[in-house]
Order: sequence, then C-alpha cells, then structure tokens
Amino acid sequence: MAVLEVRELRARYSARGPEILKGISFDVEGDDFFAIIGPSGAGKSTLIRCINRLVNPTSGSIVFNGHDVTKMSSKDLRMVRRDIGMIFQEFNLIDRMSVMDNVLAGRLGYTGNLRTLFRMFPRKDIDHALHLLDRVGLSDHVDKRADELSGGQRQRVGIARALMQDPKLMLLDEPTSALDPKISREIMALIKEMAQELNVPCLCNIHDVKLAMEFCNKMIGLQDGMTMFAGPTEQMNEAKLDEIYAMEVL
Amino acid sequence: MDNATGLHVMDMRTDEILARRTRRQRKTALVGVILLGLVIWSVDVTVVQDTDWERIGSLGEVMEAASQFAGIDFSLFPSLIGPTLETLLIACLGTAMGAVLCVPATWFGAMNITPFAPITYPIARLMMTLSRSVHEIVWALFFVAVFGLGAMAGVFAIAMRSIGFIAKLSAEAIEDIDPGPVEAMRATGANTFQVMLYAILPQVLPQVIGTVIFEWEINIRRSAVLGLVGAGGLGLVFFRQMNTFNFHGVTSVIIAILAIIFLGEAISHAIRRRMI
Repeated sequence: MAVLEVRELRARYSARGPEILKGISFDVEGDDFFAIIGPSGAGKSTLIRCINRLVNPTSGSIVFNGHDVTKMSSKDLRMVRRDIGMIFQEFNLIDRMSVMDNVLAGRLGYTGNLRTLFRMFPRKDIDHALHLLDRVGLSDHVDKRADELSGGQRQRVGIARALMQDPKLMLLDEPTSALDPKISREIMALIKEMAQELNVPCLCNIHDVKLAMEFCNKMIGLQDGMTMFAGPTEQMNEAKLDEIYAMEVL
Repeated sequence: MDNATGLHVMDMRTDEILARRTRRQRKTALVGVILLGLVIWSVDVTVVQDTDWERIGSLGEVMEAASQFAGIDFSLFPSLIGPTLETLLIACLGTAMGAVLCVPATWFGAMNITPFAPITYPIARLMMTLSRSVHEIVWALFFVAVFGLGAMAGVFAIAMRSIGFIAKLSAEAIEDIDPGPVEAMRATGANTFQVMLYAILPQVLPQVIGTVIFEWEINIRRSAVLGLVGAGGLGLVFFRQMNTFNFHGVTSVIIAILAIIFLGEAISHAIRRRMI
C-alpha cells in the first residue's frame, strides 16, 4: 500500500490568482526516493508544501497512511505533521540556538507548552539527538550555535532535526540548491542512506536532473503545474527532459 | 539650413530649461518668505504679546533672577538619596511593567502573527497610539487620581507610556523576520505557541532587549519629573524647593537628576555594546 496517495491535486494562492497546480496525481510507496523535477515556477515547492499543508490545496486529495490530509482539523494536522519530516533549501534553522536545541526542535510536536518554554526535553530525546548528530557527522559541533556552521553542516543539522521526528515520510524541498556540487552529492547520499536505514520514503523537489537520476527511483516532471512525465527513473530520457524544461529555454 | 534648424531647436531647449529653473527659484523664494512670515507672527503672539515685560525689568534684573540658581545647597543632598533611588526604581519597575503589558499589543500588532487581522490589528494600533500620544505627565495625573499620591502612580504612568514604543518597534521586528524557521517549526507539528517561542522570539530578542533598554533610559528622564504632579521621586523635591524659593536646592535636585541620567546612559550603552 502506498504511504502517500495524491489525487487530482489543485492549488492556487488566491481566488483570482493563477492556478499553480492543475490536477497532479502520484503515489509514494514504502521504499521510494521520489523526485519532483521541473523548471523554476513549475509548482514543485507548492506541491511539496501541500503534502503537509504549509500551503492549502484548493481541491483534490492527499491520503497519508490512510487519512486524507486535506480535510483535517488543525489538531489532527499537527499529529500528521509530526510524522512527516521536512528538509529545506535554506535549512531554516534557528540561528541563535545551539545545534542540539535545533535538533530537539524536531520533537516539538511531542512536547507540551510548559516543557517547550523551559526547553525540558526528556533524556531519551537528548540521547536520540546525540545519536543522530553522530550519524550525520556533527558530534563535535553539538554545543555550537547554528549560525557558526557552514552550509553543508547546517543542512546536516536539518537532516538530524527531520529524523528526530521519527518520520514516516520525508519531504525534501531542494535540499541541495544552496550547496556546492560536491557537498550536494554528499548530502543527497547521506539522506538516501539514512532513509533506507530507517525505512522512510522520501519525496524530493530537485531541479538538478543529474542528481535526481542518480539518487531517485521514481520521478514526476512538472511543467506549469501539469504532469509531463511520471514513472521510474529508467524511463526518463533526453527527449522527455527537453520537453519538461522547454519553457525554461524560452 | 539643417544646421540652423538644429541650433534653433537647441536654443528653444535652453530657453525652456532656463524658464523652468526661474520658476523653481521663484517658488523657493515664495516658500521662504511665507516661512519667515510665520516665524515672525509666532514670535509676536507667544513672546512679544504674551510676556509680562514690566515684570522682567531690565537686563540686569533678568541676570539677577537667573543667578539665584547659581549655587548648590549641599545640606539637601542627604535627603535626596531616597527620592533619587525612588526615581530610578520608578523607571525600572515602570519599564518592566510596560515590557510585560506590551506583549499583547505586540502580538496583535504584527501583521504576520496577529490572530485575526481585521479586528486585532486595529486594536493593537489603537493601544500603541493611545499609549504614546498621551503625555507621561497626563498619565501620571490620571494614576494619581486613581491611586493617590506616591510612587505607584509613577510606575503605572511610566508603564502605560512605555507600551506604545516597545510594542511598535517589537511588532515591526516581528514583521521583518525570516519566515523560513516559522515554516520549519510548523512542519514539525509545533503549535502556535511553540512556533512563536522557537521561530520568532529568538529572531527578535536582541532587538526587543535593545528597545527596552533604550526605553528604560528615556524613562529615567520621565520619572524624574513625575513628582511635579505628585507621582513620587525627585520631581516632588524639585517642586518643594521651587515653592519655598530655595533656588540653590533646585540646582541640587537638577544635579541629582543629571547624575541618574548619566548613570542610565552609561549602563544602557554598556549593555547594548555587549549585546551587539
């Protein structure tokens, strides 16, 4: 059974604004590393933000582990968001907090207001955070402030924060766009390794087609909010890529 | 022929530019004359007509009246320690209270986090304007009427007067934050309170603390005069010295006020430098 089933998803930011997504459908299964490719402005970011409703879709359905996310109350939505880790292009760390506090922030959905106020996280959370920081190669930087780290290191904190949620699905929004090519490949490899180890499927926005072909097993190609390609990565070829990215050339 | 036409066109361009410049100069001159007229008229109304020239007397008498203040009543200083401390405490407590009271105004007044913009945003703006447009002396008169004479009225007056400034600058700081961390915290399943605590507060805290300290520095000046209307502190002593014509005593009070203002500025400067 698919972890995530998206059907006929449509979205626009305002009633009179242009339609950003024009009926997108796809399934993400248990062991997928699923890429969303397409030129800038195709709707990749909007699509990935609809999954955890950082953006509200106008119609269609998003079924995550058997529950339709689009019809949820805000309380149920928070429960669903706890199960979906997200990694961002600009890392979106809390700059003035330590690396440890940033990783622990991944547990906010499981933490009460009073505990949040005094940053009282249980011992097992701190153990888990240390373990994850070790896995992403930051065990020497636990007490540093997030803004003291390099771009690659910051994204590693982002990965640890997302994994801290014990996610059942990971959303990756251009996780490597702010990084240089060498670091990008390292980060993608790390995410894939961790995802396979923890059995978490990933849905990844990525405009770097080479990286997508290398790391992902399935992909959809978006152009102007419409699906131009959907299928296993092996079926993707130059001609189809040219078609998807045709608008960008113009 | 072509050349001549070209020159003619040039000439016309020059004429046009010159005419425009002359018009602008005339306009500037006219504005100057009007402003000068207004100044003369205000001086006439407020100074020439409204001053009791008979009572001022000659220049010598004016100097004599002013020189009454030259001199310090040293015997007054021991009895100034209490009121000076009180003034400082009014400023501290008032600022602290203002900083706490401004939280709802800040929350409602930042467009990106206000709970229900069409209603809560105008409420916050009204609170900010009300706080700032009423003078601290007027606030003090109000609280003296409510609580009676004493420092408590001063603390409340300072607090009310501080809300607007702190809330306005803090709300603007919140409107300028990087929305990325907010999105990230929402994505973890954090609730609104947790998002504010983790994604918003750390981003604005240095600016808010800077604003509060700056306001505290201003509040020392304000609390020094609140006693004039009975709201405690040095102002009350100032008022008594003035009423008993002990002009050297007035100078002593002014020295005490200057001392705490310098102290406040030094502390505020030191804290802000350490924060940046």
